[in-house]
Amino acid sequence: MRVKEERKVKRFRYLAGKIGWAAFTVLFVLVLNFFLFRVLPGDPARAGVHDPRLKKEAIEALRARYGLDKPVINCFETLNPIEVGSCGVNPLETQFFIYVGNLFKGEFGISYHTNRPVAEILVERLWNTILLIGAGQILSIIIGVLFGLFAAWKARTSIDYAALITSLLAWSLPTFWLGIILLFWGSNNGLPIGGKALPGASTYPLLQQWGDIAIHMFLPTLTYTIVYMGEYMLIMRSSLLDVLSEDYILTAKAKGLSTFQILKDHALKNAMLPLVTVIAINLGFTVAGAIQIETVFSWPGLGGAIYEAVLRRDFPVLQGAFLLIAVSVILANLLADLAYSYLDPRVQTV
Amino acid sequence: MKQKLLYVLIVAAFVLAACGGGSGGGATARVGWAGSPDTLNPGTAVLSEAYIIFELVYDSMYELNLDGTFTLSLADSVSVSDDNLTYTYKIKDGIKFHDGQPLTAEDIAFTYNFYRDNVDFPYMNGYTIYFDTIEATPDNEVVITLTEAIPNIDAQLVFLYVLPKHIWESADPIEFENVEMIGSGPFKMVEYKQNEFVHLTANKDHFRTPPKISEVIFQTFASNDALVQAIKTGQVDMITEMPATAVESLRGESNVEVVVGAPFAPTVTDIILNQVDPENCPTADGGICSGHPALRDRNVRLAMAHATDKKKIIDVVQLGLASPGMTLIPDGLGVWFNDGLADYEYDVAKANQILDDAGYKDSDGDGVREMPDGTNPLNFRLNWPSDSIDAPRTAELLSEMWGEIGIELQLQAVDPDALTAQCCPAFDFDVMIWGWGSDPDPNLLLGVMTTDQIPTGSSETGYSNPEFDDLFAQQATELDKDKRIALVRQMQEIVHNDVVYIIPYYDPNIQAFRTDRFTGWITDQPKVELADTTSLVVIEPVK
Repeated sequence: MRVKEERKVKRFRYLAGKIGWAAFTVLFVLVLNFFLFRVLPGDPARAGVHDPRLKKEAIEALRARYGLDKPVINCFETLNPIEVGSCGVNPLETQFFIYVGNLFKGEFGISYHTNRPVAEILVERLWNTILLIGAGQILSIIIGVLFGLFAAWKARTSIDYAALITSLLAWSLPTFWLGIILLFWGSNNGLPIGGKALPGASTYPLLQQWGDIAIHMFLPTLTYTIVYMGEYMLIMRSSLLDVLSEDYILTAKAKGLSTFQILKDHALKNAMLPLVTVIAINLGFTVAGAIQIETVFSWPGLGGAIYEAVLRRDFPVLQGAFLLIAVSVILANLLADLAYSYLDPRVQTV
Repeated sequence: MKQKLLYVLIVAAFVLAACGGGSGGGATARVGWAGSPDTLNPGTAVLSEAYIIFELVYDSMYELNLDGTFTLSLADSVSVSDDNLTYTYKIKDGIKFHDGQPLTAEDIAFTYNFYRDNVDFPYMNGYTIYFDTIEATPDNEVVITLTEAIPNIDAQLVFLYVLPKHIWESADPIEFENVEMIGSGPFKMVEYKQNEFVHLTANKDHFRTPPKISEVIFQTFASNDALVQAIKTGQVDMITEMPATAVESLRGESNVEVVVGAPFAPTVTDIILNQVDPENCPTADGGICSGHPALRDRNVRLAMAHATDKKKIIDVVQLGLASPGMTLIPDGLGVWFNDGLADYEYDVAKANQILDDAGYKDSDGDGVREMPDGTNPLNFRLNWPSDSIDAPRTAELLSEMWGEIGIELQLQAVDPDALTAQCCPAFDFDVMIWGWGSDPDPNLLLGVMTTDQIPTGSSETGYSNPEFDDLFAQQATELDKDKRIALVRQMQEIVHNDVVYIIPYYDPNIQAFRTDRFTGWITDQPKVELADTTSLVVIEPVK
């Protein structure tokens, strides 16, 4: 009874600690993110418009439009951060506090490039990315894990070697190269090679719209799956081999358990630990998209949006995207920690 | 396992997609391009893709033809007052916007005032700076009074797309996304998805040029390989751009024709030589003027011009597809381009001779010449914007070529913003590779080389020549077109003689279309622009 209570407390403490850390990291990123884009060289107001004909009034109006005419934090005359100089303004009217205040309202600012709200752009792109990378991840996890399982069980046979070589090859293929090869192959076989849907498809019946998207997704998802399944397979295989050499597996075999039972009840759960880490990290970066795949197949995802924003110095979009990625990586890590505590209760006591 | 899963997936997808038939019938021209409009709001748009859509969906007072001339479009006639300050346009009757509302002088006057009054529109109010008042009369006339007489009101009005007053008068000029995009032009907006596609349908009731096709779809391809592959396999009927490297392989395709020519909006690649005189250094505006003194000597610039093998640069960087440059005024400007100038021939011996004669000797035998007084070796910084694909190769070639005449270069790519800061009006550089996009009127690029522009940051070379400045002022008010052409040509001769810039080439426009889908693409004009209204309103499906 007592032991159980103690474990509960420990578990609570463990969880609270992890969540606290995650929250702190998000706050840190939030602040860092703001200053990161303020110390970059160049004038953001001119960034979208590379035209020397731009008149002084126009530049000033552009700066005012994006709130860049206000002081970044405030104006100081001494190094004392509390004593605001005579040139200072109300702190609530500085860029930093406006930024923080807007974030709490869910506003990420206005894109320099398109004049659209950043949140709107990011949500639109995020959905496309989740669709593509999500499908790719699920497929590659399933295929990779099954391959790994099979290879580990048939270790050091020709089946194992064949699976190993295939996976190593797939994993080491340059993504964009594989993408372009598949693009050539697909376009010669009538598969669409660009975009998410046929223009005008939004008027089709729903089922057909989905079919259209699925066809457009085929090549990029295939590319993603081939590249990532190799990684999962290799990790699954080596970690399962580790577990299979343990004494308790031998015991299980001696007890006369079937292959399936050994794998399911004794080996798999322990072998999953390293895989969970990798999956969690990969899932966190899912949000960043796969820039190369998105570029090859013109998939309108977040990776492409970030790449474009870098090219165009669209700082509000970059800022929003960075925050989104940071938060999702932190969340994914948190989830991995929680999954760990379930898979291996020992971590709570550390 | 993998094969089976994929197989199931692909079959399912095809079944789903097949159960409703293909896209709507009729002749749909599909255009592949690498970009996407930044916005559909003409006030805030910057990218050329947006302007292509504006040209199709809106009308303006003048239409710019592919030979560089203008045609009156929305008006039947125009009359000019004796002092050349008042223009009265008689607007055609019966023109309708896509939503059925009539387009009248009211809309046009509203539009011009709208563009002028919003000072933070990046481009539009650059075209309205000479406008004093713009009024609509009850007789469906637009009366524009100018602050000074200008020779090129057509070039000012051609990009001022006429907007429906009933929609825009209540809209926020900046935040209005204009997704409905009600215009009056030959095409109507159906749907726009940023970075995916622009879907237009024909306005068969257009007053001037109703299209013969039924729809146009512009589809964005984020990679050049996909763009080229899309036209090879017939997923698109035309592509607006492609890398020069793809030209050979596309020329081998049986149903594809590649066209190369000057772009509709010509662009110039230039080598900027910092020659600002210390007396003209705009110190009050941040001028640093750290340029190498040798560059102020015409002999040095002339020797560099003779040592520049433009043909080699074009062959290596543009795979032989660009036309060699002369001055900042590109050949794509048609009548304004001075085709009578002879370029400095590529002649290394002559270049060396010029430097020898001018006293630039290599006294310490290290292969690099020094100033005539024996100090300050001719070692120039060469910078270019880091986002340029072609500039690094040009820079390598220049380093080789100019090395032959004892000029050493330090090559460095610089972030575009940092380059702007270095450039002008700071003049904190020696040589740069950069470029200009040209207006249809030569006024903009000629103005870049005037003394007045040294402190504003438009002048990149710091060139100052009173004779040139006088001619510039003259052409800016010369209303007789032939006289103005003569002045503009004379100005090109002056800057060519003074070697203000070295222009390696004028950038080409490379496009391709499928011959088995549509006929009638316009390819015999001085400029090439298949995605323009000129082609899209005349092409017809292949029977």
